[in-house]
Amino acid sequence: MKKVLLAALLTIVVLGLNAQTFKTRDGNIYFNPNKNQSNKEYSALSKEATAVLNADKSEVALLVPMKSFHFNNALLEEHFNENYLHTNKYPNGTYKGKLIGFDKSMLTKDGEYKLSSEGTVDMHGAQKPFKSPVTLKVKGGVATFVCNFTIKAEDHKIEIPDLVKPKLSEATPLDATISFKIN
Amino acid sequence: MKRILLISLVGLFLSGSLSAQDDLLADLVKEDSSTVKQNITIATFKSTRVINMHSVEMTGEGNLQFMIIHHFGAIWDNSEGGANFARLLGMNSGFANTYMSFDYTPVRWLNLGLAWSGNTSMEGTAKFKWMRQQSGQKNYPVSIASVHVARVDASQKLETPNDLYWNRMSFVNQLLIARKFSESISAQLIPSWVHYNIVPYGNQDLHDIFSVGVGGRVKLSAKKALTFEYSRQLNGYDNVIDKTGEIVSYSPNLFSLGYDWDTGGHIFQFFLTNSSYASNIQQLSVNTVKDNFGQWSLGFNLNRSYAIKHKVQTK
Repeated sequence: MKKVLLAALLTIVVLGLNAQTFKTRDGNIYFNPNKNQSNKEYSALSKEATAVLNADKSEVALLVPMKSFHFNNALLEEHFNENYLHTNKYPNGTYKGKLIGFDKSMLTKDGEYKLSSEGTVDMHGAQKPFKSPVTLKVKGGVATFVCNFTIKAEDHKIEIPDLVKPKLSEATPLDATISFKIN
Repeated sequence: MKRILLISLVGLFLSGSLSAQDDLLADLVKEDSSTVKQNITIATFKSTRVINMHSVEMTGEGNLQFMIIHHFGAIWDNSEGGANFARLLGMNSGFANTYMSFDYTPVRWLNLGLAWSGNTSMEGTAKFKWMRQQSGQKNYPVSIASVHVARVDASQKLETPNDLYWNRMSFVNQLLIARKFSESISAQLIPSWVHYNIVPYGNQDLHDIFSVGVGGRVKLSAKKALTFEYSRQLNGYDNVIDKTGEIVSYSPNLFSLGYDWDTGGHIFQFFLTNSSYASNIQQLSVNTVKDNFGQWSLGFNLNRSYAIKHKVQTK
């Protein structure tokens, strides 16, 4: 009996020690809200997204300071902060979700894996369910999650004036590239 | 038994720390809110100009700005009587001064510009950003910039003693100290120093003319704002001799009221001012419009910026 108890406790301890979480502070998120994706004036990039991956539970969370998005045209950056995303009031955009089709053994074997993620995006004070395919590339101890997804301004209560609307995509395409060091 | 107890305690402790990490996002949020961030104030003014005067704002890094400043004629001419209807508040008077400029910001703290500045003159401008208002680990209560303008009168009929280009030059140096008090209220202090290489008629023998100005903005909505400006000339305006040898006085005061409208792509600034000159140098040294409100003029600034250097690459 003693031995069984001991073994059970040991298992818990070992499991606890094995709870693998990975963290990164320099995730990249790129977007261009213009209908014409080659219009570089509108290109914006943040290199300051922080993210955590819990490999045991296949869970991810991401936080990006909205002010870390820098646009090629500084005036558009000002509008993004002041008029659309109100970044003084809502400083961060966040995502919390599950990785579907993910197994932590993937992290130990180089390769490319097709996954998907399901969760909630919280931005501009409005939450919205999220679902998108995700590609995981594992190479040389670095696991890179790439996700191309879209966000609709209206889903997050971002008001776009009629004058500006014709220029912008109805659903803004975004690219997130989040790399974790595994070793 | 003791050992098992110890192990179970350690196990409990570990599982406790495990459950603390259950909410991954809460961890990130906690970490984010516990770091002190540097909050750099943006958009103290909408435009690189308050109205006539430069504001602390600079064209964005890697961006080229094209600006048109247009001053119409006097809004009311008493001698024209009923024809003032046709003059349409000076906008159809046949008189106007236009300032057109291109300016570029190669690095965040420096802006260089070239302007066609009215009355057959041209100006070169250098603007430096010395300090940005910010809070966080470092606290700076104000933004500080300076602007330095060299103007050359390129007209053929110049009445300077010897027609050297050096003699045609004049300069203005301004210090811009601004604070954004709240989302909607900003104010700026503007000391100015105008220098003439050769003193034009009407300025006695004063090479250097000093002014102190203030500017401000009150936002009405995200895209609309009211602005004002006042500058007071400290010397060289009273009892000066003009071209014909008569003694005249200039107005030491420069008043302007404006309305900013940010359309999303352009910034329009409509204004009413008591100077019809396009160049800051003339506005601050030889302004002739005095108390007569009819001599004030309407005008507008219009600017648009283009990203020249692409820091962010498209795919």
